[in-house]
Amino acid sequence: MSHSLSGKFLVREWRSGELGILLLALVLAVSVVVGVSSFVGRLQSALLSESARFLAADLVVVSRSSLQDDWVERAEAQGLTTSLSVGFPSMTVADPDHMALVSVKAVSDGYPLRGTLQWSSEAYGQVQSDGAIPPPGEVWLAPRLFSLLDVTLDDSLLVGEAGLIVSGAVRSEPDATAAVFGFGPRLLMNTQDIPDTGVVQPGSRVEYRLLVSGPPEAVTAYEEWLTPLLGQGQRLDTIEGAQPRIGNTLDRAQGFLLLAGSLAVVLAAAAITLASRRFGERHTQYVAILKSLGAQSAQISRLYGVSLATLGAGGTLMGCVVGWGLQEGFIRALGDLLPVTPGPAGWEPIVIGVVTAAVCMLFFAWPPLRRLGQASPLSVLRADIGIEESQRAGDYVIGAASIVGLMWWYSGSAAVTFAVVSGLSVVVGLGFFVARALLSGGRRAGGFAGSIWRVALAGLQRRGRANALQMVIFAMAIMLMLLLSVVRSSLIGQWQAQLPADAPNHFLLNLAPEETPVLEGFLSERGVPVEALYPMTRGRVFSVNQEALPEWREVESEDTPRQREANFTWSDTLPEGNLLVEGDWWSADDAGAWVSLEEDFADDIGAGVGDTLSLRIGAEVFEAKVRSIRQVDWQSMRPNFYVVFPRSVLESYPGMYMTSFRLLPDQKTVLNQLIEILPTVTVIELDIVIREMRAVIDQVARALELVLAVILLAGGLVLVSGVRSSLDARMKESALMRALGAGRRTVLGTLWIEFLVLGAMAGILATAGAEVAAWALQRQVFNLNWAPTFTLWWLGPLLGAVFVATLGLWSCRRVVSTPPVVLLREV
Amino acid sequence: MIKVSQLLKTVSTADGELEILRGIDFEVPSGASAAIVGASGSGKSTLLGLLAGMDVASSGKIWLDGECLSDLDEDQRARLRAEKVGFVFQSFQLLPALTTLENVMLPLELAGMSDAAATAERFLGEVGLENRLNHYPTTLSGGEQQRVAIARAFARQPRILFADEPTGNLDTRTGERVIELLFELNDRIETTLVLVTHDQRLAERCQHCFNMSAGELREA
Repeated sequence: MSHSLSGKFLVREWRSGELGILLLALVLAVSVVVGVSSFVGRLQSALLSESARFLAADLVVVSRSSLQDDWVERAEAQGLTTSLSVGFPSMTVADPDHMALVSVKAVSDGYPLRGTLQWSSEAYGQVQSDGAIPPPGEVWLAPRLFSLLDVTLDDSLLVGEAGLIVSGAVRSEPDATAAVFGFGPRLLMNTQDIPDTGVVQPGSRVEYRLLVSGPPEAVTAYEEWLTPLLGQGQRLDTIEGAQPRIGNTLDRAQGFLLLAGSLAVVLAAAAITLASRRFGERHTQYVAILKSLGAQSAQISRLYGVSLATLGAGGTLMGCVVGWGLQEGFIRALGDLLPVTPGPAGWEPIVIGVVTAAVCMLFFAWPPLRRLGQASPLSVLRADIGIEESQRAGDYVIGAASIVGLMWWYSGSAAVTFAVVSGLSVVVGLGFFVARALLSGGRRAGGFAGSIWRVALAGLQRRGRANALQMVIFAMAIMLMLLLSVVRSSLIGQWQAQLPADAPNHFLLNLAPEETPVLEGFLSERGVPVEALYPMTRGRVFSVNQEALPEWREVESEDTPRQREANFTWSDTLPEGNLLVEGDWWSADDAGAWVSLEEDFADDIGAGVGDTLSLRIGAEVFEAKVRSIRQVDWQSMRPNFYVVFPRSVLESYPGMYMTSFRLLPDQKTVLNQLIEILPTVTVIELDIVIREMRAVIDQVARALELVLAVILLAGGLVLVSGVRSSLDARMKESALMRALGAGRRTVLGTLWIEFLVLGAMAGILATAGAEVAAWALQRQVFNLNWAPTFTLWWLGPLLGAVFVATLGLWSCRRVVSTPPVVLLREV
Repeated sequence: MIKVSQLLKTVSTADGELEILRGIDFEVPSGASAAIVGASGSGKSTLLGLLAGMDVASSGKIWLDGECLSDLDEDQRARLRAEKVGFVFQSFQLLPALTTLENVMLPLELAGMSDAAATAERFLGEVGLENRLNHYPTTLSGGEQQRVAIARAFARQPRILFADEPTGNLDTRTGERVIELLFELNDRIETTLVLVTHDQRLAERCQHCFNMSAGELREA
């Protein structure tokens, strides 16, 4: 058979609309995979650069002493951009009555390399982000400094010995989080003015930050070059290291996006399988006629092979184009919602799309068509002769294995693949068994019900095998959609729980015991709720079990136990958000010399439960026995402590208190009044940090929702394909029923019940599968706590029933609007 | 010519082996016409399937134009059909996705003929459907569909033509026209014609008539 005949065949088939369904499934598969993977790719690069703004750079070299000139030269020689910022605490004086301890940050041209610096020309004026920094000779102040120092624009103030003019207000810095413990309100100035201040001297408390940004490879190369050269008091900050909370958020978002992409692959395969099966079934008779006319099996295989290859190539190309358009459409539709310009998607999504198409064509589309070659020509004489089904199991096994491989490659994660495969296995494994049992039980139940039910349930049972397959595919699609929804809700829920809307955003340290009533009175007068007060005393652990620990500078390896200093506190109860991993907690009236350690701290000093520690607070030395080891949730916004004692041990030592409270943006000036009545306390302002983090989480959550929408669409299309796959047999039966005098209501009622039962059963299977997969994903991939989602158990079956019944009825609507004789002739 | 010797066909059922054809022997000379008549379930269609090489006998031999079917594998039998055999079915078996012309062209294209379209057009003209070339089967009447099937069967000018109840789905008048056409083309092309039918008038038009009963065949 010549290629030209294959070409003619393809054209004729195309005209008949049969190939259109297969092509649609392929284009859908490829476009969803390409669309999701390129969207994910672009979002990942966007999110990565988004995360870089917390550093204001891709990489930061932090040093307590001034940085070597050749480090800057080397960076620039490697094509990297650099900028310098210098931070130090200082007193600034506007006039003899107005002075304040401020956190100075001097920046050079180019700052920030990532993110934007927002400023305004008045304290609370119109925000600008035009890439400007304070020019030499000028300073920008945190808004509340204007009232604290009683200055306005163009007033001058002193920083050290330098007189500088106030020319603006700092409203938001991208790397505010990087300097969480920079106490005091911000004063931003130009690095060129530092020499004039005379503040920065050898031994001063200064932090130099060399900001570096550029192409990822160059940054990595620079990092590798610099790491061995770092000396004491020097380190490199990366996004993960600098802000673990954001790092975790991004890791989890990335896991979710990759999961979504993997699910797209499975859905694509399901859609193609269904379309190809239907194509194969509808062509059995076609092939029998061809064979009766003398076509040989090899000719038939070649005919369909060439057609499928042509269709595959065309479908892949179209799918790539549509997929690219899809993600471009998403990006454009999002427009301003996306915080940063999405990066390039690269070629990988196209490669993934092509390989997915090839696997789908080879293992899912081809087998039903290949078997067409075995169709018996005898079926032109006897309609009851079909194709043997026995070879299908082998195809499914190979196909499933290739899809698992594809998911693994795509997600790059064995854990993600394992979780999804576990869920799908539950659906498939239980599916056939449960489906067959329920269908046969259903018929018995139908025997006692009305005639419509009897006919519907008998129909379900008669096509038991096909229905079981259809139900499993419905269940897979619903499961994947439920799974993604559950994981998304749980991810977003837990992110939001980490940063609740009413989380304290200011911390107050160095509060003397006698000042606590003053603070409580002050805050309650202003309607600011006061959180718990934590006693705090600085101390050091210097020996374990009478064995002296070396100081950190004497230690060569990081693993060697060493002395550590920390803030000590006391508590009658296990602090909130802490988890006991070993030992137990003391009772409130326990007078024993106990101590509870955070697990990493215990590792650092090499101590465990039962060991005796020697500790020093000021000049006083005492001993305590380790009673428990705790795990602390450092991601929470609560005060957390490494070392906790019973009240009786610590109460007698002099100490200060710390607390936290929440201020709304318009209450910021309360801080100025507070500093006036309690001048010795230190305030750490985390409101900007929290706002920034919440913004990132919101953006990530929105991205996840978009991807979820794409997957839901793909899942919906699989359901449509599933319904269509059984349409012929159902249409034929319905047409026969109508020919025998059944009314519109009876015919539609029967179809409705069939699809409703199928959908509800698929929903039950899907829920079981989704729970298993969600459990595996949340435990293994997202490190989240898993709890069964009870809503799913009624929502899954309900959604399954409603969706499948609606789609089914909609697809079969012709059965009541077309004369039965026409339908019988068509199917 | 067609020669059948000791043809046996059994199938396995839940109740054991069932004999459908029991040692059938007959011959149809080249260019002759033969009718196989019998009640439903007597084994007529099974015999036709075996004669056309679409099914395999349990034992016995069939020779089509000198070639023994039991010596050929499935693909060789398909090639034999493509070269020498035409078929007309009770339910027409036209491909709904193809036009009238394309349906008739199909066997010619399968045989690699270059002038498939012209030949098909000529045969459609012979059956009086020259104005329906681009119609689809579903838009044609039953009689017209069977005429398309006859054009398709004769277009390859086969040595042997099998017809399975060719008038079974047609009314009497249309059936008569189709019979006329079938015999007219058969005479002209000198095809060996084997018909399976219930239609006594059709059987009487054939030179040989065989009666099939309970899997056994006797010349009437």
